[in-house]
Amino acid sequence: MLTCLRGGHVVDPVNGTDAIGDVFFEDGRIVARPQGRKPDAEFDASGHVVMAGAIDIHSHIAGGSVNTARLLLPEAHRAHKARPVETPLSTAGWSTFQTGRLYAQMGYTTVIEPAISPHHALHAHLELSDIPIIDKGFLTVLGNEDFVLSSLRDNESPNVIVDYIGATLEATRAIGVKCVNAGGVDAFKKNARAFSLDDVVPEYGLTSREIFQRLQRAVVQSGIRHPLHLHMNNLGLPGNVETALATIDASQGLPLHLAHVQFYAYGKEGKNGFSSAAAQFAEKINASPNVTVDVGQVMFADIVTISSDVMKQFNSLPGARPKKGVIFDGDGNGVGVVPYSYRVSDFFNAVQWAAGLELFLLTNDPMRVFFTTDHPNGAPFTTYPEVFALLMSADKRAQWLSRLPEDVVALTNLPSIKREYTIYEIATMTRAAPRKLYGFEDRGSLGAGSVADVAVYKNDERDRAGMFRNASYVFKDGELVVKDGAVTRYTRGKTLRVKPTYDSSINKRLDGYYDKLYGLPRGIFAVDDDALPAPEAFAEVPCRS
Amino acid sequence: MSNATLDGAPIALEDAYQHAARILACAKFPVVAGLGSDAAGVRAAILLAERLRGAYDHLACDDIFADLDVTRSFGMFVTTPNEARVRSDVVLLIGPGLTQHWPALFERLALDRPAYFNKDAPRKLIWLGPKRNEAKIEGIDIETLAATPQNLPFVLGALRARVGGRPINLDGATAKKVESCAQALKAARFGAVVWAAAALDGLTVEMLQGLVTELNATTRFTGTPIGARSGASGAVQVSGWMTGFPPRTGFGRGYPEHDPWRFDARRLVDSGEADAALWISAYDGEAPSWTREDLPLITLAPKGAGAKRGLYIEVGRPGETHDAVELAQETSSFVLRRATAPADTPSVADVIREIGARFSEDVPC
Ligand SMILES: [Zn+2]
Repeated sequence: MLTCLRGGHVVDPVNGTDAIGDVFFEDGRIVARPQGRKPDAEFDASGHVVMAGAIDIHSHIAGGSVNTARLLLPEAHRAHKARPVETPLSTAGWSTFQTGRLYAQMGYTTVIEPAISPHHALHAHLELSDIPIIDKGFLTVLGNEDFVLSSLRDNESPNVIVDYIGATLEATRAIGVKCVNAGGVDAFKKNARAFSLDDVVPEYGLTSREIFQRLQRAVVQSGIRHPLHLHMNNLGLPGNVETALATIDASQGLPLHLAHVQFYAYGKEGKNGFSSAAAQFAEKINASPNVTVDVGQVMFADIVTISSDVMKQFNSLPGARPKKGVIFDGDGNGVGVVPYSYRVSDFFNAVQWAAGLELFLLTNDPMRVFFTTDHPNGAPFTTYPEVFALLMSADKRAQWLSRLPEDVVALTNLPSIKREYTIYEIATMTRAAPRKLYGFEDRGSLGAGSVADVAVYKNDERDRAGMFRNASYVFKDGELVVKDGAVTRYTRGKTLRVKPTYDSSINKRLDGYYDKLYGLPRGIFAVDDDALPAPEAFAEVPCRS
Repeated sequence: MSNATLDGAPIALEDAYQHAARILACAKFPVVAGLGSDAAGVRAAILLAERLRGAYDHLACDDIFADLDVTRSFGMFVTTPNEARVRSDVVLLIGPGLTQHWPALFERLALDRPAYFNKDAPRKLIWLGPKRNEAKIEGIDIETLAATPQNLPFVLGALRARVGGRPINLDGATAKKVESCAQALKAARFGAVVWAAAALDGLTVEMLQGLVTELNATTRFTGTPIGARSGASGAVQVSGWMTGFPPRTGFGRGYPEHDPWRFDARRLVDSGEADAALWISAYDGEAPSWTREDLPLITLAPKGAGAKRGLYIEVGRPGETHDAVELAQETSSFVLRRATAPADTPSVADVIREIGARFSEDVPC
């Protein structure tokens, strides 16, 4: 069936398109304008913006950690409306079902969960399988487990880590590698309470710097297109911009993705010893073309922090809102889940809010700066439309700034920044850039051959938030799934994974290691087809050849 | 081959499915209870409860909530059996019957030898309130802190007080013992508390997590919980991602509401609020604990556990007759259990699918 979206404002940065035009798709793929054929279905897109489906590069949507947060906070996710009869569990507060529905309604069609411990991969896949409509995938968290640390300590061949990454991504069916507070999670098990770039992991004699650099090289060598996805040391601490700058200095000119950098954009100025250092940080990002960042914007809301940085989460417990939390010392890596509430009247929270926007506005390349709230850590993903509106309007920011404590306004550059994101830049940040960051060849673009994941928004200059909250139409693999901001059809998306080549002799060594260390067959942690509700619903993201 | 009976008399499987569909479709507020199944069975059961606008509950919810209520009011420190095995230099076992609740406990945590990452020091084991002779294990040195189930919370409270440096009011010998145990806990580098929710109440679990919290002020300590029976831990997880809530959740208003009192299946049945029940106990055929006998009942249980009353449909045991995904106690993660004695007996998920497929036909109520 040939479908035509007629006369919309097509915004497709991958192909440099920013003009009124038509978009055609057939059999789930975008096609070039067919000659001499009449479309079987036609949608009037005049007055609308037409983009590829959006891609969220870092959002905690599935797995044991997210589920712990759900169970920790029954008060946080009440549902309010009865569901329409044909949509199972779509009103279940913060469920997998609702996650797919809400993302689709905003025109998002691919979302990457960034933090799955290898031994909990099956759990994550079971949840991903229950998220309807959108495509998804996850990063495997590595770098605090004994196998990696002792291999680095013993100065083994770098190939060991490359092969370990290959074997682990195969067993977990992941899309890339994340490292969280490199070495710091292990150090916390040995009672370290602070851990910075040049601190040494007890008993391994390795600094955080060495660990992340060697993982960074191994990821490049593995051929995975997504660079090492790094959660740096000292998250959230005053003055931590120094750590971030030093990390960029240590990045060897190799690709490196820094996660939720807003949480590292802090100086120590002012009477509270806490200030925005976003301007300094943004300048460094601008000057470092090998580095990509996502922002992790804070919005004023009740949230829950979910992080594999167990040490940081432990240190956050006294400030929890409400006062409770789960600290999980996992196999090698772990997780902490601590609820929090960002308040507009809170000095620190207001600085965080401003610092995030400053980073968005002072960085100059939307191909390297990604749109995230680190859902749910900075804000729920449902606040994205408000964040888009703030980026696109200096007036709107001024309105918000007027609500902030005065001493905060004095400590940020935000009031003086007049930049307003264009629709084209928004599309770059949420479509073209993620395509490049994950090495997707089939999405993030409206070029012929791409999957027909398309979002159509009514162009509304006065209400950007409303525009992005309720897409007029969303097509997933060419099927209409959202109309006028409501899901009309539930489909099953795919789970995206990579399959880097590696020397499989590592598997024998790992089997022996697991037996010696844990007394368990390593295969118990692997994700087998027979364990999956829909083993056919995987798609491979290519590696560099 | 499966096997079905109605009030003890054999009926054809097709008739059983039809009958089950009729019972559930005609009910105003059915409860899907027991929920003793693998991940696929629990998932199917929750979707069914939602479709019927009923409620669902797990047979071990009282045990589940001993832990979960502490988590959601206070928080938890937990680790995996793997980490406890390779890292814990001090292990505090709490409560009677631990090896009944988890027969592989000692072997899995390798408690008979030093931790892998702590090779030079023997593991220090303390058991608070074991059953008589339970802590006497050949080749393993265990220091016991005697307590009956009744006074265990008091001894635990005393231990916590001494860890926090607060005075206690106990007689000489016991006080001395508590003191030495408190010092041993504080001297741990990475300690682990092991408990079974089935053997403790919520207040005791909160007390032990309070103890762990205090220990973490100066050293590292965490917990290794032993999950409740009949796939309870897995059911909680599946329920969590499907509805945001653990079991004891209802869909009467068209969206999930969680209330451990309102949606307790025993209460729903005995009070008459539920007018039909689907009882699932695929592991061991445990019977429901409600007393009312006149409500329409469908039982899914393995061979030999056939219900004398109501409709019974035989299901296979997860991991025995069919491959099953379960939350494994030995890893605290979901794993695939390969069938040990494959058979074509339907799984819980299979049977629910069959019943669900018969709703669409016009069933007369
Ligand atoms: Zn994150």
